[in-house]
Amino acid sequence: MADHPRPRRGQGELEALVLSALGEADGPATAGWVQERLGGGLAYTTVITILTRLLDKGAVTRERAGRSFAWTPAADQAGLAARKMRKVLDAESDREAVLASFVTGLDADDERLLRDLLGHAGAPGDGSRPGSGGGSRGEGED
Amino acid sequence: MGVFVFLPLVLPLTAWPVARLAEQHLHPRAATRLLTAVAAVMALCSTVCLALVMVVGTAQLPGNPLPDGWSDPEVRAAVPYDEVAGKAAIPALCAVLMACGRALWRHGRVRRRAHGALAGLPGTSVAVLPDDIPYAYALPGGRRDRVVVTTALLDRLEPAERRALFAHERAHLAGRHHRFLLAVRLAALANPFLRPLRTAVAYTAERWADEEAARVTGNRRAVATAIGKAALVSRGTPLATLAGLAAVPGPVPRRVAALLGPAPAARRRPSLFTSVGLAAWAAAAGTAASVMSSANATVTMFLIFRAAF
Repeated sequence: MADHPRPRRGQGELEALVLSALGEADGPATAGWVQERLGGGLAYTTVITILTRLLDKGAVTRERAGRSFAWTPAADQAGLAARKMRKVLDAESDREAVLASFVTGLDADDERLLRDLLGHAGAPGDGSRPGSGGGSRGEGED
Repeated sequence: MGVFVFLPLVLPLTAWPVARLAEQHLHPRAATRLLTAVAAVMALCSTVCLALVMVVGTAQLPGNPLPDGWSDPEVRAAVPYDEVAGKAAIPALCAVLMACGRALWRHGRVRRRAHGALAGLPGTSVAVLPDDIPYAYALPGGRRDRVVVTTALLDRLEPAERRALFAHERAHLAGRHHRFLLAVRLAALANPFLRPLRTAVAYTAERWADEEAARVTGNRRAVATAIGKAALVSRGTPLATLAGLAAVPGPVPRRVAALLGPAPAARRRPSLFTSVGLAAWAAAAGTAASVMSSANATVTMFLIFRAAF
């Protein structure tokens, strides 16, 4: 569920490396090109494996080029979709009426109240997950 | 029947207390269904009433195409102040129809465009967009239902909170919540007195999805912190209402507070013997009575017209 075209925080580091290498190509690139680009630290078959895994996740696309495949990052597609979506949302002043968004805006009082609530949520009494509540406060304050 | 003709136009006022009580004391699913049904029936009665009064109004206009019987003295006698009311009803009904038509059209357009924006992506049920603005929503219909979420929001959430977020949006889609929201939106346009019901349903639908997410993930606290974090990172969103002036906390803190408490009982009728229960039943009875008399006034006027015709 949490996997998305740009893995972060150390998950799938290799996938991220391969994906960023692909992103630097001018157009569709072969696995050999990617391997070279990565400085030879990876075996050719590893690069193929990672590319195939990325393909399964929808993060890259491929097309046949001669005897091998040429790979393109699908992240461009996602970036394009993100820009289009932003345009749609910006154009609709009352989009709240159509799309049930996860949250609505907060005013200053709400924000204070919310921080209080989340602060208490992480307080003793829920010893099973001590890190999560503190994390919520840290995340919100930056 | 005198001023009773106008009852369906003002009776929606009586739904306000029941909206408040349902929001606070009913299970969010029951509250959403009840309030939407009340809003829809009242809006329908109000609009039919407006249309009937308008017929009386147009009958006075020279060269109108309506049957002469419709402007008979007895029909006009049924509507007090028929000259003023009839004429006022013409622009009012036009405004209602235009506003509702426009709302429906925009609803379709937003959904079409949002699906169009995602057209280039693989057809997964979740669309993750690389964007530094944190947002997430459920996009119903089209070829398929989709959950749209940005990397900016996902990056702020722990794995359990991501699961909560997805469960929340899937609950919106599975429960077809957009239909409830559209229904109350149209109702509020048909009769502005129904606006509090729209606000109430917007809140209870979110609560419904929250509770569903809590049930599916089995972690109420993760749902609460997911909502809290999402609200805090997207706090730049301008508010449509002047919530700062209200003493009542906004919807997000109330949702978080509700999730930090115990799960609401699904099927429990409030007892008559507590003050809350008594108030709830009184408000429910009042709403039922006003729905009935709305319908009654509408039917009565309809019968008078049929007799005159």
